[in-house]
Amino acid sequence: MTRRSFVKTGAVAAAGATALSAHLGHHLVFADANAKVRIGVIGCGKRGAEAARACAKIEGVQVTALADVFQDQVDALKAELKVANALVGFDAAAKLLALKDVDAVLLTSVSAFRPQQFAAAIEAGKHVFLEAPAAICLAGVRMVQAAAAKAGEKKLSVVTGLNGRHDPACIETMKRIRDGAIGTIQSAQCYSNVGVAEPVRKQAHASDVENQMRNYRSYVWLSGDHICDRHVNNLDILNWAFNALPDSVHGLGSRQCHKGEEYGNVYDHFGIEYAYPNDIRTISMCRTIEGTEERIGERLAGTKGVSNGRGVIEGANAWKYDGPKVDPLVQALTDLVKAIQTGTPVNDGQAAAESALTAVLGRESAYSRLQFKRSAFEAKCTQSLLPPQDLKLGPMPVKPPAMPGPYVWEGFPTGEGGKKK
Amino acid sequence: MGMSEKKGSSIGRGALAATTLALAGAMANKVHAKGSGIIKLGLLGCGGRGNGAIRQCLAGDPGTEVVALADLFEGKTRGTRDGLMKDGNFKGRVKIDDDHLFSGFDCHEKIAASDVDLICMATAPGFRGRQLMAAIKAGKHVFTEKPVATDVAGCKEVIEASKLAEQKGLAIVCGTQRRHEMSRVELFKRIHAGEIGELVGGQCYWYGGGIWYHGVDANQSELEWQCKNWYHFTWLSGDQICEQHIHNIDVMNWCFNGPPRKITAMGGRQTRDYSNQAKEVCRKLNKGSEQGWEKYNGDIYDHITAEFEYANGARCMSFSGHGPGQGRNGEKILGTKGASDCQGRYWGEKEWRYQGPNPDGMLQEHVDLLKSIRDGKPLNEGIRIAESCLTAIGARIAAYTGKTITWDWLINECKQNLVPPQEKMKPGPGFFYPIPTGNEKLM
Repeated sequence: MTRRSFVKTGAVAAAGATALSAHLGHHLVFADANAKVRIGVIGCGKRGAEAARACAKIEGVQVTALADVFQDQVDALKAELKVANALVGFDAAAKLLALKDVDAVLLTSVSAFRPQQFAAAIEAGKHVFLEAPAAICLAGVRMVQAAAAKAGEKKLSVVTGLNGRHDPACIETMKRIRDGAIGTIQSAQCYSNVGVAEPVRKQAHASDVENQMRNYRSYVWLSGDHICDRHVNNLDILNWAFNALPDSVHGLGSRQCHKGEEYGNVYDHFGIEYAYPNDIRTISMCRTIEGTEERIGERLAGTKGVSNGRGVIEGANAWKYDGPKVDPLVQALTDLVKAIQTGTPVNDGQAAAESALTAVLGRESAYSRLQFKRSAFEAKCTQSLLPPQDLKLGPMPVKPPAMPGPYVWEGFPTGEGGKKK
Repeated sequence: MGMSEKKGSSIGRGALAATTLALAGAMANKVHAKGSGIIKLGLLGCGGRGNGAIRQCLAGDPGTEVVALADLFEGKTRGTRDGLMKDGNFKGRVKIDDDHLFSGFDCHEKIAASDVDLICMATAPGFRGRQLMAAIKAGKHVFTEKPVATDVAGCKEVIEASKLAEQKGLAIVCGTQRRHEMSRVELFKRIHAGEIGELVGGQCYWYGGGIWYHGVDANQSELEWQCKNWYHFTWLSGDQICEQHIHNIDVMNWCFNGPPRKITAMGGRQTRDYSNQAKEVCRKLNKGSEQGWEKYNGDIYDHITAEFEYANGARCMSFSGHGPGQGRNGEKILGTKGASDCQGRYWGEKEWRYQGPNPDGMLQEHVDLLKSIRDGKPLNEGIRIAESCLTAIGARIAAYTGKTITWDWLINECKQNLVPPQEKMKPGPGFFYPIPTGNEKLM
């Protein structure tokens, strides 16, 4: 079922996605090539709107429904794309998933909700565009893994929003790296030093939950901190190139520059070491501090050459991608539509879950300053940031930012550090 | 980075090395300690490390005697003398008259003017540049603890002093003892000979527990208190990356035979908190007021993650700090044909492990120093340690500012000068900087 043994469809996750839908196979194959693929958008913020617009431009696609917690988020998009069905509220996602005239959903809401929405979407028999990160906590990762496995059984397509997975430059580079073009990888780095922070101003009339959701990047419970929110794309490239997940992690980070209320409780930088199999150690850096140097990308250095992971290989097997340049989001959606139309499911669930897990490992190590093995974390940690199902707009006190030392989760692998020889 | 940059030599010492070579041997060796006579030692900085260093120096050559002590605080010099007198290991070799106990902010000038042949330096790092210059100008050999500076100006002063030492035939050995461990010396010969191929990556670490924090003694001025709590202030200690992690950074530079060409770093201070003690210090120094107590917390970070990009394009990680969590200390280097622990072993296409004798580097560095003086071939590690120090300082600047910086900029354009001039060094107010935000302006 999986290319590695780490996926465990654990009891917690399995409970989330129950018995197979009675309508199994309802819209799986489009016998009629002229039938439109009907898209529902769950989460109509910036990314959702971008994805919805991209969908509307694809031949044979129609956006038929929108869902968001907030009225204003759906209004603009409804008018722009002439969508009949716009649903609002915390139950809007569930209502949209119950619609018969939706074949596929774009899961582009606030990250925290994604695992539950993904499980529900697969349960409802919908194909999915699964924005990255797929999850922001270990329990969420488990839920995504279980739902992805279920999608496979139901022959539903799952396409990730990770920006490398549908970029031909990246795909071609990775094929070559897997074939040994740069030899054995000895050193690697990935960066998401974006040099900007984009907090959203608080509205006096709005509830805590609304303010926090509109400014979700600043709150750990909603975004998983920016290592999950953005850097997951770069971490995915490392996992892909190594064809493995990191064995252990040790992270540093803090909230150094952004201490104001608008920055909630997230850190503003993480500098992390991920050690891949054979003790190959890599650097991961991400930073959102205004006015700092921008660097976004990856570097893979092997025994025979070096690659940026996205179209260039230098060294003994020098090569440069010269195919068409694509917008990875448009390509991912195009691939999803094509998979639905041709009845040949694709499933990126594994990569989506693993990259999310990698980001979670880094965050937890930096918050605690503990060095730990992934296996120990996966086996013992009880962490869950899954939002309560009965969440309402109302008060929500902000937890203080993580303080190494006191910061701990039950089952944290404090004792077995994976200390290096 | 382009593969073209990756090819070719990884040696990047550049202009500095060229200058040194040109000066080497330019002057005859006129220093009186050459040969078999007694070498008279002075200790500058009578704290814990100074007390250790002077003992190691005495142990490094039976023909040495300690004759002078200097410290900011007079009590420290007396306490150190008492301890040395009682130490059975050095009977008859501790000959410190009362008029050879020097104290005050100008104690380095007094000891330089005395009749010692060699000065062991172990004060707060911020003062090292001017102390080294005074010692070399006065014709003294030097053992100096690391780091040798806390800012760019200090590194340049050390480079100048080292050039002068070269001209005058004086020795400068630095307490980066890994360079004197035989297992590493033999290993690095092999790494440089290409036994693990071209270097493609590496890591170095020093992450450990917290540090001490001292209260105010009776009649102590703010500056004296600050000097006693030197570690907590960047202008005095250079921050932890410079004060401690320099050891591991120096090993990385050793791998590549020179400093990195580019540095990217990030860091911050999430856990260091001495609020209660700092408030008490504030009250004692400010007539009972707690106003502005925060500055007594110190201004250093508690972690920095840095990336060094060396001349051949290889990117190496530096991981340092103090706080809770897993301690790390060490290095690793990887090449196209293998990898090494940087201590005495490599593996890969070929395997090798050092099996010879391996005396303690902290003793061996003194043995090597004293032997070089007696042989009339004084070791001079000044420029090399200044470069490693500048590497650490560069990483700190990169972390404090959020800017990627180049070696060229550091050495040619950066005007950083944090240590107040000597004339301002007197009992009185201290010198305080705010904790850096992570996006400070470049100087």
